[in-house]
Amino acid sequence: MSKTKIDRRNFLKVLGLGTAGAAMAGCDMPSYVTSEEGVEKVYSYLAPEEYVIPGIGVWYASTCQQCPQACGVHGRVREGRVLKLEGNPDTATNAGKICQMGQSAIQAHFHPERIQNPTIGGKDATWDDALALIKEKASNASWVTGAVSGHQRVLMDVSREAAGNGRHYAIEAVNTRAWEDASAATLGDANPNLHIDKARAVLTIGADFLGTWGNPVQAMRDYGNFRNAPRGVLMAIEPAMSMTGANADTWVAARPGSEAAVVLGVGHVLMSKHGVSAAGMPSAASAFSAMNPAKVKDLSGVSEAQLNKIADTLMANSPSLVIANASHAAAHAAQVLNLMLGNVGQTITPGASLAAGAMAPVSGSTKDLVGFAMDANAGKIGAAIITGTNPTFLAPKGLDMSAALSKIGFKVAIADFHDETTKSCDVVLPMSSPLESWGTHVPANGAAPGTVHIQQPLMENVYANTRGLGDILLSVAQGAGAEGLDGFEDYYGYLRTAVSAMIGSDMEGDWNKVLQAGFATAASAPTAFKAGGDVALGFSEPASAGTLTLITSARQGMFDGRHANLPWLQEAPDQINKTVWDTCAELHPATAAKLGVKTGDYVSINTANGAISTRVFTYKGIHPDAVNVPMGRGHTDYGTYAENGVNPLTIMDATSGDRSSTELLSSSIAATVTPTGENRYLVRSMDLAEQHGRKLVATITADQFDRNQGGA
Amino acid sequence: MSADRPQHKSFPWIRTFIGTAVIGALIVLGAQVFEQQLHPVAPGEAPAPRVPGADFPMDTFDGKDVPQPINYSHKLHAGDLGINCLYCHTYARRSKVAGIPPTAKCMGCHTVVADDKPEIQKLTAMWQKGESPAWNKVNDTPDFVHFSHERHLQKFLLNNEDMNIEDAPDVCAMCHGDMNTVGVAKKMKPLTMGFCVTCHEKNNGPADCTRCHK
Repeated sequence: MSKTKIDRRNFLKVLGLGTAGAAMAGCDMPSYVTSEEGVEKVYSYLAPEEYVIPGIGVWYASTCQQCPQACGVHGRVREGRVLKLEGNPDTATNAGKICQMGQSAIQAHFHPERIQNPTIGGKDATWDDALALIKEKASNASWVTGAVSGHQRVLMDVSREAAGNGRHYAIEAVNTRAWEDASAATLGDANPNLHIDKARAVLTIGADFLGTWGNPVQAMRDYGNFRNAPRGVLMAIEPAMSMTGANADTWVAARPGSEAAVVLGVGHVLMSKHGVSAAGMPSAASAFSAMNPAKVKDLSGVSEAQLNKIADTLMANSPSLVIANASHAAAHAAQVLNLMLGNVGQTITPGASLAAGAMAPVSGSTKDLVGFAMDANAGKIGAAIITGTNPTFLAPKGLDMSAALSKIGFKVAIADFHDETTKSCDVVLPMSSPLESWGTHVPANGAAPGTVHIQQPLMENVYANTRGLGDILLSVAQGAGAEGLDGFEDYYGYLRTAVSAMIGSDMEGDWNKVLQAGFATAASAPTAFKAGGDVALGFSEPASAGTLTLITSARQGMFDGRHANLPWLQEAPDQINKTVWDTCAELHPATAAKLGVKTGDYVSINTANGAISTRVFTYKGIHPDAVNVPMGRGHTDYGTYAENGVNPLTIMDATSGDRSSTELLSSSIAATVTPTGENRYLVRSMDLAEQHGRKLVATITADQFDRNQGGA
Repeated sequence: MSADRPQHKSFPWIRTFIGTAVIGALIVLGAQVFEQQLHPVAPGEAPAPRVPGADFPMDTFDGKDVPQPINYSHKLHAGDLGINCLYCHTYARRSKVAGIPPTAKCMGCHTVVADDKPEIQKLTAMWQKGESPAWNKVNDTPDFVHFSHERHLQKFLLNNEDMNIEDAPDVCAMCHGDMNTVGVAKKMKPLTMGFCVTCHEKNNGPADCTRCHK
């Protein structure tokens, strides 16, 4: 038997015969392999509504809280559990659709790593102790939040006022702040309605409206209509391709930081070649005149032919729409172009403002991130209550956020997950998931006038000792001695009273109608655009040609990093580079060749603020002078699933230049890229850009289409 | 054997082969023979079919006694008092699952009926605390099997001209046995794939894999 050593071949033979023997033996006997008895538990309802039937889902309306857009959703609830979200078809914001981040709300809701108990100094505590400590120590507290609106904002404001008027910092890294400021300056309305569907040409400059800018769900629907006959033309100018850029007919790569110069160049061509008038806007007109195509080419690398093509297309397809978020300067110039092209009033119409202004949305910015870090470092903040944002993760090293936080005497986090920020907080209050709690939200983008979305709990708390954000805010406000809140036992009671006052009825039936619809309509007034619109237009000087600049972009999925702990979204490929579970540095093939690297090679990216090391992905949808590292991954304290990847924000620069106008998402910083010599296969869902003749996607040339399909 | 003699082609692994095959066979046979609940078909003991138009397997199964939080009796409620199955298991004709009746339904009667019995007092205490009893599931199919109570009741009871709603126990008995004789619950039919398929063949039920396995 010495020869019978088990190698692979013998092992398989033995296995095969053994299985055959077992199967033959099993053949002739009645095989009663039964299921378990008495192992699973089955619970009954106590006293269900008549329409609740086990095994059949009931849909309830609520509001999505996965990003600041607050889309209306319907949640399917079965046997007391919410199983699936879909868009609420009756809301103007998203009309029955939601994005992948919204779908993943279910995973966040049932996440095993949610915070389950209040802690004081890292040790489990009772709610009473934690709230008493906040009452005692959080006087004059500043509030550090993400974008907020509705009655949550009202309660935060009354808390602040009662406790001594601490500041409110609203921090969002992915925002529309540049556009809001430009719209306010030129039109007098920070949130005008955009009608992509009514435009015949759209030019976007760094505003990824199909990905993360504004409400992409609404923009995608409008974009679908925009592309229907007659087919609108989409053009994009940006340093690295976004979801919107990938869908554009004309995609122009501009050197990072030069976008404003390109917009001014388009204005120059419109005035000089097409005779478009900038009458009444002398300062804008002089900025356009000064930016001749040669200068644009010099600053941005965009040729005169490309400028002409963009200007010609805008002229030939009226009304058009120019949207920009690349910088404050670019957004201001874009709004002036809209005025010159006569788009204002056609594709840009006035928004509406709520009569109850205290509920209006506060959109976040990284300007507030910088302000918070500087105020804290200067010792101006004695206590802080932090919720809905993660300043430690978002802040570049230059802001010294951990030192800033350590200078704040008393910090409270209201959070559903532990992250880099909650780690340094004295008190952590466990928040129920948005699918377990009450709230109202006023969508900042694209809602019908006066719409207030209602967030309704879809099920009982998964973790019994958590409380809804509204309930916590109410307790904190009552503890701070805010007026008019006595007698409200919970946030539901407060909200019901407030919404009843808003809709002018406290009848049970009317309240139920609001819950059923998922939104209420409050009194509002349309805003009016101001006349004139002349603003001084500037531009920034980008780094000189041939030097590498680090930029970062936001992608639907990871967003600003808040979804990095959700495996569903980690597994969903990046829309542009198709990478899963990891960060990569996007480089132009020519730049990569110059550096001697290829896809999968590790590089070290060094800036004045530090270094990160990650793998390269080469493709042509990026300017040769740019290295783009999408944000959102590389957490250090955000649970099991968020550890992979790197965080480019740490080595970005938020403090350089004019702080009032630099947003982290549109900032850029000089970088050197050096190969480390290592290489590891970059896991992507699509490894080849070619189809190798397999016709996976059928295509037809425009010429053939025109001849065969009855095109124009 | 001397080294210089030409050797036959040897199969040194053949003993391992046979040994493994025998062991495999013994494991399977042993598992079946010593399986406590194995009860081959015993037509003599099974009740005669009482559902006109249906021809279903008479297999029985001797399930184990599963302890339950409350010692409810099917024999008393359904057997002696003659309460229709569908009165309590009202979801069976509306949904995939038959469901355990909501406590509110129990309390509908037991607020006044037999409220001195200890088991009822146990239930009342749970009801007042807002808790549901954690019943141990007795009749179960694996998660990859999708069985719809609604469809089966439609075919054999609701859309069956020869049946009235009072005959529900006879239809339920096709898969659950005579529940009028047991305490809380006992598995009385094997509920194996063979059991399902036999009935589907006899009654022209669908035979596509994906009807049940989704």
